[in-house]
Amino acid sequence: MRNDVELKVGLEIHFQLETEKKLFCNCSACMKEKNPIKIVVRKLHPVQSELGEIDKAAQFEYLRNRVFYYEIFENECCLVELDEEPPHQPNEEAIKIALQISKLFNCKIPDEIHVMRKIVIDGSNTSGFQRTMIVGFDGYFEFKGRKIPITQVCLEEDAAAIDKEEDGKVYYKLNRLGIPLVEIDTGILEEFTPKEIEEIAYHIFLIASSTRKIRKTLGAIRQDVNVSIKGGNRVEIKGIQRLSMISKVIEKEVERQLSLIKEGKKVEKETRVAKEDGSTEFMRPLPGAERMYPETDIKPIKTEIYLEKLEIPEPLTKIIERYKNEYKLTESLIESLLKSDYFFLFDEIMKNFKIEGSIVANILTSVIKDLERKEKIEFKLEKEKFFEFFEALEKKKIFKEAAYDILKEMYFNKELSVDEIVEKLNLKPLSKEEILKIIEETRKEVKDEKKLINVIISKVRGRANIQEVIEILKAKNRQHEFP
Amino acid sequence: MDVYELLKEKGIEIGDKIRINSLTGILMPKTELSEKDIIVLKLENGYNIGIKIREEKEVELIEKRKKISKMELKKEDFDASKPTISILACGGTIASKVEYETGAVYPSFSPEEIVEAFPEIREIANIKAKKLFDLFSEDMQPEHWKIIAQEVAKEIENGVDGVVLMHGTDTMHYTSAALSFMLQNLPVPVVLVGAQRSSDRPSSDNQVNLVSAILFAAKGDVAEVVVCMHENSSDNYCIIHRGTKVRKMHTSRRDAFKSINTSPLARVNYFEKKIEYLRKDYRKRDKNRKLLLDLKINPNVGVFYFHPGAKPEALKEMSKFYDGIVIASTGLGHVAINILKDEKGKNFLPVIEEIIKSGKPIVFASQTIYGRLNLNVYSTGRILEKAGIIGNGCDWTIETALVKLMFVLGHTKNLEEVKELMLKNIANEISERTEE
Repeated sequence: MRNDVELKVGLEIHFQLETEKKLFCNCSACMKEKNPIKIVVRKLHPVQSELGEIDKAAQFEYLRNRVFYYEIFENECCLVELDEEPPHQPNEEAIKIALQISKLFNCKIPDEIHVMRKIVIDGSNTSGFQRTMIVGFDGYFEFKGRKIPITQVCLEEDAAAIDKEEDGKVYYKLNRLGIPLVEIDTGILEEFTPKEIEEIAYHIFLIASSTRKIRKTLGAIRQDVNVSIKGGNRVEIKGIQRLSMISKVIEKEVERQLSLIKEGKKVEKETRVAKEDGSTEFMRPLPGAERMYPETDIKPIKTEIYLEKLEIPEPLTKIIERYKNEYKLTESLIESLLKSDYFFLFDEIMKNFKIEGSIVANILTSVIKDLERKEKIEFKLEKEKFFEFFEALEKKKIFKEAAYDILKEMYFNKELSVDEIVEKLNLKPLSKEEILKIIEETRKEVKDEKKLINVIISKVRGRANIQEVIEILKAKNRQHEFP
Repeated sequence: MDVYELLKEKGIEIGDKIRINSLTGILMPKTELSEKDIIVLKLENGYNIGIKIREEKEVELIEKRKKISKMELKKEDFDASKPTISILACGGTIASKVEYETGAVYPSFSPEEIVEAFPEIREIANIKAKKLFDLFSEDMQPEHWKIIAQEVAKEIENGVDGVVLMHGTDTMHYTSAALSFMLQNLPVPVVLVGAQRSSDRPSSDNQVNLVSAILFAAKGDVAEVVVCMHENSSDNYCIIHRGTKVRKMHTSRRDAFKSINTSPLARVNYFEKKIEYLRKDYRKRDKNRKLLLDLKINPNVGVFYFHPGAKPEALKEMSKFYDGIVIASTGLGHVAINILKDEKGKNFLPVIEEIIKSGKPIVFASQTIYGRLNLNVYSTGRILEKAGIIGNGCDWTIETALVKLMFVLGHTKNLEEVKELMLKNIANEISERTEE
């Protein structure tokens, strides 16, 4: 990309927090239910304010024929999401995590957090506003020796997700509404390439992930970028679902603005929405200042009590350095670990057992992924069980080649110990004598030399190191040749 | 000293633009719960935060508060082809404007403002509007009912086609019952309406409720005092309840109001602006009918809630303050009167007999809310009826029984007459048949 365009970018990165309950009620924040149990039909009305006539007319026009259908899910929606009951006091765990994130970005913390109502009339909030609060401001973090300004960290309720729209009927799933969401805003980023900006976004994700409470499922992380270039205008692009799309989206937007400028056309201030391929389409004119007023149903939150006992986790960026240097993990293994649920478990295992880092990382990533794919399961195991497994591996009671079969059995038969599984599946490591015995026996059954090796390997699978078996077989063959 | 007062001495007031260290924003009023040294600042992006002021020197005035100019609204034209209705406001906010700069919410109440807020009203009726008082629902007193009744009567005498009464929801069913007794022989509908969600939010139920109430006041055929609120959680229907048979049954839901021991009178389809009648036994609209205004009411009536462990002495003490008492009884109409010797002092019968003998009526209404009293089934009931308890066979709510006793005691203190009037159906407060 040309570097004379004076690219300026602002990032707004949203993460769902992995809390058990929602931000303003005790509904489950898991979004497990598939089918709604009820539908409620609502209209929203423009709220009177000292707005210009055009804004008012636009609101009326927008809402005139729109009817919102809210799908209600068991355990995941209550009267609070339905706007039928005032919000409960905010989830303390969510506040704690949001404060940790603020601290990780070196933010100042307000003495009192005030919950605000931000007017949103697209129906994604049953109340017509989104509850949001500043938990940190004026922060920064280091990136390649430069300070990246973080203007604010907000804790807010996630909005309902749109399901479908037909003839002015807009269907929303109400289970996402109210899940705690953290928004991290950067200041204006200048003199960075789109690729670097993507890296900055990834760094923000890593630092926030240090809390171990960031949801990683698709759609749980969303980012908006503000892009402007020399002679262009500020354009907001919403709904980028993957961090790895950011540079592409910025590049395409710069191209779009450049070509408009070249044609002598004006670049309008507007909000655009990102599509799968990185291109964008017009969504609406850029809204003016946010219309916000206080949420009077919730008391201000004094931060002092939280800050007294707040533990600041080790930043993930530092942990990654440690993984590289101490445990000798490759970049790609670290990335796989980050995508898995076991990034932090890896650290604990390494601290407790003497096993090569890459072996542990491989089991936690590719072996488990294989299991999930082949067995069509969502693999889950308690920490203690993982420890039992890696202890057996450390003490050479099992081979790493048996990991797949043993972990599979551990998942399906939770009451069995690793020793019992080894017994049951006959996965006890073989002695050299036993391997020789198997080779001899197999030789009697299989005459074809080429097939022989494969049959032997399948017989000892999981019970021996294949390389060693081949060595033994080769040695044996030499004996046969020269009796 | 409160930091706001210190700032005031420096010439800094709420609404002014100020700077504290790196932060710039507007000084906001603080909430009741904030500490003395905390100020609330509205940042330029609209967010509020609370900041502790260690030294007032930290605060620097940037700009004094701007005055906000109100927009002039065009006068609405009168359309003779449409009915005319009056909106009377007793409290709450029918419509409000939010000033996002400061976050303040202002009520707005001229007819122009109402039509501006809810333009669909233009297609239904001409609007007159008047604010009677601005009261929280819980502050409403029997004296206010008289003022409301008089004002409604005035509007009807001036020839409107219906009256809409904006009211806070907590005690709306008391007011609707009182007006049902005070405004007899109505020629046009009197519709009470409220909102369970405040009007400053886009999801407020005020629009659906108010527009439906206006539609019913203008075009509905029921010349009675009624309550118009959401039928369920959705926005498509409102339901019309009879003023004496309605009760608030939920703290927060839009459909908090339910008809008790009877079906509602009508349903308003908000989306299609249509009325569907659910009963036939109502007084029909007739503008030639002459309204009878009866303001005689004695507010000196109290409710005693009986419960296991309740003390008859408390009832006796209470009776000194009132001219009549409603007892919220258990089940079919019972209180403790079959007490063993060792539980002396728990038997209500002697106290009840004493109060009635002193000339003060006692009326029963059941705690069960649903169902009809029947003092004939158990001996307890029969003994109580013999003692002079009023209410056998009635299916009124506690609230309606209370209001009716006030109304009756406004007319006579003679126990015989009180009993006769109480048991006479004045405003459909006693259903002859229970259907559900």
